[in-house]
Amino acid sequence: MTRGQRLKIYVIILLIIIPVFLSGCWDSIQLDKLSIVSGLGWDINLDTGDVTLTYQSIVPSQIKSTSSTSGSGEQKGGGALNTIQLDHSTGSSPYDALSRYTQHGSRIPYYRHTQVFIFGKDGAEQGIYPFIDTVARNPAGRPNILMAVSEKKASDILGVQNGMESIQAIGMAEEIKLSAAFSKYPEVTFLEFANRLMSKTTAPIAPMIGIFLETGPDGKKIQKIRITGTAVFKGDSMIGQLNERESSGLLWAINKIKKGFVMIPEASLEIVRAKSKIVPELQDDKIEITIEIDEESNLIEYKGRKDLTADIVQELEKGQAKEIKSQVMAAVEKSFSLDADVFGFGDAVHRKYKNEWKNLKPMWDEVYPNIKVVVKVKTHLNEIGDVNKALMKK
Amino acid sequence: MLDLLLKKLHFQKMSNNNSKKASEQHDSPVYLSKNLEENLKILREVLGQSSDVIIRDMKIGTNLNVAAAVIYIDGLVDRDLVNHHILQPLMSDLQLIKDNVGQNHSNLIDFIKSSVLTVGQIIGTEDIDGVIANVLTGHTAILVEGVNQALLIDAKGWETRSLEEAKNELAIRGPRISFNETLRTNTALLRRIIRDPGLTFESLQVGERSKTDIAIVYIKGIIEDSLVEEIKQRLKRINTDVILDIGYIEQYIEDNPLSLFSTIGNSERPDVVAARVLEGRAAILVDGSPFALTAPMILIEGFQSVEDYYARPYFASFIRWIRFLAFVLSAFLPAIYVALMSFHQELLPTPLLITVAAAKEGIPLPVGVEAIFMIILFEILREAGLRMPRTLGQAVSIVGALVIGQSAVAAGLVGAPMVVVLATTAIASFVAPSQADLGALLRIILVSVASFMGLFGIVIISLEILSHLASLRSLGVPYLSPLAPLNIRGLKDTLVRAPLWTMDSRPEPLDSPNTRRQSPDQMPQPPKTKPNKGES
Repeated sequence: MTRGQRLKIYVIILLIIIPVFLSGCWDSIQLDKLSIVSGLGWDINLDTGDVTLTYQSIVPSQIKSTSSTSGSGEQKGGGALNTIQLDHSTGSSPYDALSRYTQHGSRIPYYRHTQVFIFGKDGAEQGIYPFIDTVARNPAGRPNILMAVSEKKASDILGVQNGMESIQAIGMAEEIKLSAAFSKYPEVTFLEFANRLMSKTTAPIAPMIGIFLETGPDGKKIQKIRITGTAVFKGDSMIGQLNERESSGLLWAINKIKKGFVMIPEASLEIVRAKSKIVPELQDDKIEITIEIDEESNLIEYKGRKDLTADIVQELEKGQAKEIKSQVMAAVEKSFSLDADVFGFGDAVHRKYKNEWKNLKPMWDEVYPNIKVVVKVKTHLNEIGDVNKALMKK
Repeated sequence: MLDLLLKKLHFQKMSNNNSKKASEQHDSPVYLSKNLEENLKILREVLGQSSDVIIRDMKIGTNLNVAAAVIYIDGLVDRDLVNHHILQPLMSDLQLIKDNVGQNHSNLIDFIKSSVLTVGQIIGTEDIDGVIANVLTGHTAILVEGVNQALLIDAKGWETRSLEEAKNELAIRGPRISFNETLRTNTALLRRIIRDPGLTFESLQVGERSKTDIAIVYIKGIIEDSLVEEIKQRLKRINTDVILDIGYIEQYIEDNPLSLFSTIGNSERPDVVAARVLEGRAAILVDGSPFALTAPMILIEGFQSVEDYYARPYFASFIRWIRFLAFVLSAFLPAIYVALMSFHQELLPTPLLITVAAAKEGIPLPVGVEAIFMIILFEILREAGLRMPRTLGQAVSIVGALVIGQSAVAAGLVGAPMVVVLATTAIASFVAPSQADLGALLRIILVSVASFMGLFGIVIISLEILSHLASLRSLGVPYLSPLAPLNIRGLKDTLVRAPLWTMDSRPEPLDSPNTRRQSPDQMPQPPKTKPNKGES
């Protein structure tokens, strides 16, 4: 083997070995170099138009100390949160604000475990497109991060202590999920929001979060978080909100009812199974939407003090159907008045009448409030509980 | 006289050459002469002044006029046997025989063989090399003046360890006995299980100086003939001073000596070896080793335990799965933990991430270094526990448990989750003990790769291991069989352990000429006809 050949072999071996080390740890990052952002808030200063991002980050060392000293008497200094830390950074655009985080943070913000995006109401009314665009373009977070609009500034909401969970944003996310599980308010992920935004006619929605005061065990007032309604967007700007009843109606119509309760004057019923379908009908230029709802429930509370006969059961079923229908109609009325297609009627029409849609689409805003909506509800009472004779009669 | 000189030269060469090859020593056999003095002189020279070599001169025959000598190695022979059944008949009983047999010396030795010695196995040889070799293995040699033949009497007897319970391959149900260091005992253990006339122990001697006895065990008619040939070839190729243990043989004959995976199985249990031999494998026993090698070996064997076959199939299959899982955990868990901690934090559920992040807080080392540190610490402890005198055992376990388990966490050097991961790994690695050393090596490789390439690196290494496994052969049998190449019938004893009555055929990759091992349709069931209750 000549010298040249040997050299060549050495070079080849080097070329094989070096990349192994070069690939190195370029995207390896230790957990203690990360600041895990649990919640991200977005506010706009109406005067200057500047964007303020509020980071709620987890402080792992605090979690460690609370878990190891639990039992030896925890001290909570006036509701101050020690497991999370709030940071604010302001910039002319979301990314500008984002980039300024490094000016005051010691760790790299890590969004992959972010639970909620909170938009201040003022900011939401201005339009949140820049934020949506930034998040969608740089997918640092999961697409199932929950979206919510706060009645006040997002930075205020993120600082409110939540009783059960040590991480406030997790508590907030669980609260939203629980309300959705019991069919009170919708649970909207970033992906769903973005999908609605892309459909052009369907209006994005998001639950609204407010702060209320409650008296604590020591008599002091404690701030708590409560879901108060459903924010309705037109495009990327919030234009109004649905109240509790209208939110329920919305969920009935868009087949998002899981479990929950229907209250009618004489009884309360627990929903066991519910299904709904939006069926559009196009005749001439008139659109008629039929919302078909199929529901099964159990009786859990009966105020009538009567023996439950078949007639009464039928009555309860009817009363239930009426209540559901009125909830849905309330939501429909509200959406007509806001002229925001929260139900996705437009998409339903699009799916069924592809050709006609081309003409309808540009004038959807005018068409929408004039749609005739028919709600058909079928209810069935499965079980009346362990008592079928009234314990005390009138 | 020249003859004698030549012989002397020959044996001097033999006793002096440490570097010469065996073939040179056996260039020409050297025969005994009729002169006893001459023979003894050579023997004394070859066997040297070693104190355990006993050369007993005597006069035998009716008139005590025939010089003779008994040669043996003290400690290798049964003294009672030598005294009472060799020396006594030669020296006293032979005198009493008034028959005139002593005239012809060669007659005398035949007479001794046929009528005097009351021992079982006697062979005659005329070859001095043969005498020496046999004396060194424990035979007793008788040389008689005027006869160029020696009698070799098998009167072996030495201290051996008694048969004990298996220490490494434990089973709750099933026989307890294990092999010991004596080849003959081990063959007897196998013979007691398999009384088939086809069971063959083929003997070989390996080791230029140790002349270690080796037996290849197989059953004629069940094993494929070429397999025996191949094993014999490989054993004959071995040319080394000494075979101290069966591990020597394994390393000299394995198919892929540079692989991490062992392609030759071993067992200390006669029942396991018998089962493998009955499947169509060959076993190798080595004198001095309480283990038997079995070949060919497939990967799955490492995860089969003898008790799988003694327990009922459901639990046996379940436990086999547990064993697979434990092995995968022991090899991959620390690597996956490192990858998740330093690259893929998003793969963890949020609450788990928070817990882990809290534990990681203030730990100075990157998680990869932490893992390697802990793995090495564990291996040190394990090795210490193994090598250290038994009496010190407790000290190590206490220090080890405190150092690893508590102090390291309390001092903030190591995160508690890492200790949990490593403890799980350590325990899991002992579920399939035969694979424990393999698991330890894989673990270190995987952790190092995972710490700078993450899951990507783990996948690369896993693929590398898989392709390597697929390329391995053990005496021509694919190592991954019956999984790859797939053999549906073989799967009955792979991922599950099917009931014994369904396993009708021997493993197909072994190409046994006798594939059927039991008659089919043996599923036990109650008799179809109803027993008559009236009858008594």
